[in-house]
Amino acid sequence: MKRLVLTAWALAAVMPTLARAAEPAAATADPCTTLNNRILGPRSDNRPIPLLRETTTHGFTPACSVPWSVISPKNEALPVEACFHGSLLQLANDSACGAGTGKLWVGTRWVVTSADLAQEKQHAAICQKLETGTWAGTRALTTECRPRTRELAGFKVDDKPAKPAAPAPAPKPDEHQ
Amino acid sequence: MTRPPDDGTARPARHGGRGIVLESLLLAAVALFFLNLSPLGAMSVGHRFSQDLVYAWFGGAHWLYPRLPAETKPRGANRPRVVVMLIDDAALALRGARWPVPIDFHAQLFAELEVLKPRAVMLDFLLIDRATAEATCAFLTAAASMRRNGTVPYVAVTRPEELAALEAGNCRDDKGQLLVARNVLTPVSVRLQVDATDFVNRRYPFEERSAAAAAGTGLASAAVRLYCDSLGPSRDCLERLTRERPVDAGFELAWSPAGDPFNQRWSQARCDEVPSATQAILFKKPLPHETQCPPIATLFASALLSPAEDASFGLRNEELFDLMDGAFVFVGGNFRGGGDLMTTPLHTRLPGVYYHAVALDNLLAFDGHPKIRKEFRGHRLGYYLFDLLVLWLLSLIFLQRQAWLSTGRPGAGGPFDLSPAARSLISDLVGRLPTALWVISASVFLLLLATYPLLQTVVVLGVIALLVLLEIRVAAQGELRGRFRNLALYLAALALSLIVVALAIWIGYRWLSLPPVDWVGYLSFAAFGFFVAHTAILEFARRVDQIHGARRTEGAGT
Repeated sequence: MKRLVLTAWALAAVMPTLARAAEPAAATADPCTTLNNRILGPRSDNRPIPLLRETTTHGFTPACSVPWSVISPKNEALPVEACFHGSLLQLANDSACGAGTGKLWVGTRWVVTSADLAQEKQHAAICQKLETGTWAGTRALTTECRPRTRELAGFKVDDKPAKPAAPAPAPKPDEHQ
Repeated sequence: MTRPPDDGTARPARHGGRGIVLESLLLAAVALFFLNLSPLGAMSVGHRFSQDLVYAWFGGAHWLYPRLPAETKPRGANRPRVVVMLIDDAALALRGARWPVPIDFHAQLFAELEVLKPRAVMLDFLLIDRATAEATCAFLTAAASMRRNGTVPYVAVTRPEELAALEAGNCRDDKGQLLVARNVLTPVSVRLQVDATDFVNRRYPFEERSAAAAAGTGLASAAVRLYCDSLGPSRDCLERLTRERPVDAGFELAWSPAGDPFNQRWSQARCDEVPSATQAILFKKPLPHETQCPPIATLFASALLSPAEDASFGLRNEELFDLMDGAFVFVGGNFRGGGDLMTTPLHTRLPGVYYHAVALDNLLAFDGHPKIRKEFRGHRLGYYLFDLLVLWLLSLIFLQRQAWLSTGRPGAGGPFDLSPAARSLISDLVGRLPTALWVISASVFLLLLATYPLLQTVVVLGVIALLVLLEIRVAAQGELRGRFRNLALYLAALALSLIVVALAIWIGYRWLSLPPVDWVGYLSFAAFGFFVAHTAILEFARRVDQIHGARRTEGAGT
């Protein structure tokens, strides 16, 4: 049993390195797949942090914007309760915006996580493209949603699919990691 | 105008300044007429395309389009930045949403944008899709919070009543105040204007109103409203921009061929590439190649919602705050097949939101005095009088030059005319051939020249060199000296005309706010070709003057 636990720890330690070696282009930290990811503090000291709450239809809606001191009065690192598509992290806090909000969510843009620190030297943006083609179609036309396939390589994009990202299904509570 | 007609060339009266002044005025009036002659709008396409070329090749010049310096937070710039934020499928996926963009996604985006403290946020989406009262209430709450904290939220509508359709039920803010869309959001028009002949979005409307409504009573266009609101609560700015305008009035959009350097972080196309105007003039190149790097700083919503999409804003989001703090933010869609596209004067297509962003950038760059065509001005006659004055000066230079050339000294005549000796030599050579033979040979030769453009260049250069050599060989020394004098005179008159044109462009663009379409035609008069082609009107005037003089003499005799 002890040997099994040790092997698991060793794998956990090596896995991120292996993953980076296999995907050198996709070097950004995914807060949803990083083990023991924790929220260490705000990205910008003197700015309020927008918090979201889940709606009854399993979407998200703004709850309030509060300073970090309200979220973590003792300025301690906070555990990530759940994660949504690499964009939102769920806090254990359910009172920062008043009662009845449920556990609040914070955007990864506004907080520093342990996963971010591991990727501190990353200074690249994903190449984007303006969609200037037109299709004949209407809003009533529903098409299948394909996974977004692209890879990050400095400022260049390769057409070959490298890192399939999550598609965009309607969020369900059981999807939250 | 009492000089009898001579050999039919355009040589003005030798006596006194009165004749040359009147003749130049007549010539200028004819030039003005032909410059503005556009039966059924046929010529206006050419004028507009000329304007496109001016912006395509000189749009990077500060005098033509004073854009902000390249830095994210421009030092010393006293005007705020305009930023476009694009929502795409990737951004929607980050929050589990899908196109069409649901209103609760807009609510989330408003909450995130509020932290960045922009001056204003304009949502270029028509909120016409069905939404729950809960979602609409969340959106109004986010918009109200934004407004309370100093960021004015604007929303696109097709008519002001549209806001009333945003049903939010008994939606109240945290102080118990009822939230109503018309109190929280400022509606703006997002109608696009196209030039009817080529469907290019060169003009930006001041307002949207029916033909029956009075000027200034319509729904202000997004950029106009944002600009005027930024100056304060007074309506002076809106009144100044909209009063006495026809219903389809708009201002011309100045464009730059260079992209905003901020966009280099996500654009694969070069953003710092400014095409060479010299190359364009020398090789008559058309518009530069399309660039996918737009001229307005662009932030993708996915980059705002996830640092994994753009890690280059710094660990503390420093660059993000520098970009957005105090900026005018236009939020638009970037969806494949979305259909909300515009055709820029550089003939590149961009998502429609850039239309409004560039319009506001124009208003800021030109300090609220954008470039407006004469046809949309209140006191139109004054602008055409200015045109007439410019053309009068140019025709005066032309006629004065003609007068100097016709002095009767050796070498008199145009600097490019053949001398009598050279003419005689050439006619002797040609005269040795049968008429039919040289006419057919010349016709075949001209046919070949018409067919092969490269041959034209070679032959024209060859003929010029041959004629110059011939003139040097056969012409007398005195005649050659006279010819060089005339050439110098011609170049001096050309330079003087170009100075007049440059001055007219500066006054027209800088002080009268006339777009290139209204002054680019001056350039065609600098080289005198137009005046030479229309000097027949002067002969007509001289004959009329002669008849009038004869009648007056008869009347005095009786």
